[in-house]
Amino acid sequence: MIELHGIEKEYRGAAGPIRALRGVDLAVAAGEIFGIIGKSGAGKSTLIRCINMLERPSAGRVLVDGRELTALSGRQLRAARKKIGMIFQHFNLLSCRTVFDNVAFPLELDGKSRREIEAEVAPLLELVGLTDRRGQYPAQLSGGQKQRVAIARALANNPKVLLCDEATSALDPQTTRSILELLKNINRKLRLTIVLITHEMPVIKEICDRVAVIEDGLIIEQGTVTDLFVRPQTATTRDFIRTIVNHDLPPGLAARAFSPLPQEGSSLMLRLSFLGGSAEEPVIARLIRKFDVDVNILFGNIDTIQDTPFGTLVVELAGEQAAVSGALNYLQAHELGIEVIGYVARNARAVG
Amino acid sequence: MSPEMLALLADSFVETIYMVGVSAFIATLLGIPLGIVLVTTGQGHILENTKLNAVLGAVVNATRSTPFIILMVAIIPVTRALAGTSIGTNAAIVPLSIAAIPFLGRIVEAAIREVDHGVIEAAQAMGASPLQIIRKVLIPEALPALVLGLTITVVSLIGYSAMAGAVGGGGLGDLAIRYGYQRFRPDIMLATVVILIATVQLVQSCGDRLARRLNKR
Ligand SMILES: Nc1ncnc2c1ncn2[C@@H]1O[C@H](COP(=O)(O)OP(=O)(O)OP(=O)(O)O)[C@@H](O)[C@H]1O
Ligand SMILES: [Mg+2]
Repeated sequence: MIELHGIEKEYRGAAGPIRALRGVDLAVAAGEIFGIIGKSGAGKSTLIRCINMLERPSAGRVLVDGRELTALSGRQLRAARKKIGMIFQHFNLLSCRTVFDNVAFPLELDGKSRREIEAEVAPLLELVGLTDRRGQYPAQLSGGQKQRVAIARALANNPKVLLCDEATSALDPQTTRSILELLKNINRKLRLTIVLITHEMPVIKEICDRVAVIEDGLIIEQGTVTDLFVRPQTATTRDFIRTIVNHDLPPGLAARAFSPLPQEGSSLMLRLSFLGGSAEEPVIARLIRKFDVDVNILFGNIDTIQDTPFGTLVVELAGEQAAVSGALNYLQAHELGIEVIGYVARNARAVG
Repeated sequence: MSPEMLALLADSFVETIYMVGVSAFIATLLGIPLGIVLVTTGQGHILENTKLNAVLGAVVNATRSTPFIILMVAIIPVTRALAGTSIGTNAAIVPLSIAAIPFLGRIVEAAIREVDHGVIEAAQAMGASPLQIIRKVLIPEALPALVLGLTITVVSLIGYSAMAGAVGGGGLGDLAIRYGYQRFRPDIMLATVVILIATVQLVQSCGDRLARRLNKR
């Protein structure tokens, strides 16, 4: 549905050019919710604004629904934008228009009659649950309600794609959840492709199918959300995951001396991430049966990503060197995320 | 005060209203588009044209920095060409309008600039054309500020019109000079001043009230 090829964007800054995007390739499939996460200044807003060409890329091609937006004239581009909805962090509603008239705005741009508009706006207000607020002005609404109006407005032209630029960043956690739920609902009901950018991992975890991590104008990692949680490849991704999954070792463990290589009488410390099926499979039980190792569970945590259980365990494997490495190989062969924390001397064990 | 004097006051008042009304109308017709063009041709805006913007800005500044009394004299040839005469209320309308257009233009510019950029962006994302953005976003969103700006312009025009009257333009200013000053009639002088003050108060409070009504923020 959306293809970005070699997108670059350079801004003129006071101290020379700023390369906000440095060659981004991305493909978003029809009907999926695609998240883009990155720290402040990473280029998220620039990237999403390139998708509907609010920002014209300095280089590269943008394709949405098979049309190359980068090749269109001003008028053609305006027509194409009507099929790409967008919502913003600060809602950007027209303060002088009522809820109803805000949603009617894109229809008015198309020159529709008042009757057609009435017929189209009413179900949209119903969809976002604001039927009883139709005569109110944005100033009379809460943040969550304003974003609902913005969503209804973005859907008025029956777009194929919805772009969300930090759509929940100005909202409290409960309201964020309800807006995300609404987006997910719309995604399923209307088969709408959604691209959302955020700096909050919970948003990604809550509704995204796939996610890309952007840093310094480059996509440094992408995959399914579960993949990213189980097998983060970069330090930035691990930082983001750490914001919702506690990855820190308990203080008693963290204080111990780890070595990357096995030593006489040392045991192996691992962090295992389980997902879905394997979280329910008795991997550990089998491991103990199969290999002559002692498994000591030091720390555990279970969370869910959307509806899939996701667990992390910190375990210690003790035994003959051969048995330990056999066990490690066995674990690596499973659908598990494994991070070797290191070897610790057994006699220095502080925890039983 | 004699009935003749009252009739004279009434006539002069009507003349003032006429001068101010017509020049405010012309100023609105040209000053609002001027203000909009000043904003939208600016850098990075929806009708970016920095050369036009620079030229317009310079012309506006030149007009605005000329004192009204000098402007009025300096453009007498233009006034003659447009109004057919250089004295009387119709003649006064020309310099009044020429002074008011850039005055209102700058006020409109400031009002339009206050419109949240995000809202313009949202309209662009919905495929709105520059003209649609002006008509359906910029003007409606800035309307309360535009009404206040127009009010200030009318109030200034009332002051300027009295000045124009002093040099043969008719209206209350003319009356105050001819009777109040030259024939030493303090009662006429006082009456014109009171009427001018009352008119300004009325215009200002109507403008304020309307702007408040329109403001939905
Ligand atoms: N109009 C602009 N002119 C100059 N530089 C810009 C402009 N817009 C963005 N930048 C720069 O480009 C880089 C990326 O900005 P961008 O807004 O895309 O970041 P972001 O990931 O959305 O950050 P945030 O989370 O803070 O919104 C930043 O270094 C920023 O300073
Ligand atoms: Mg941003």
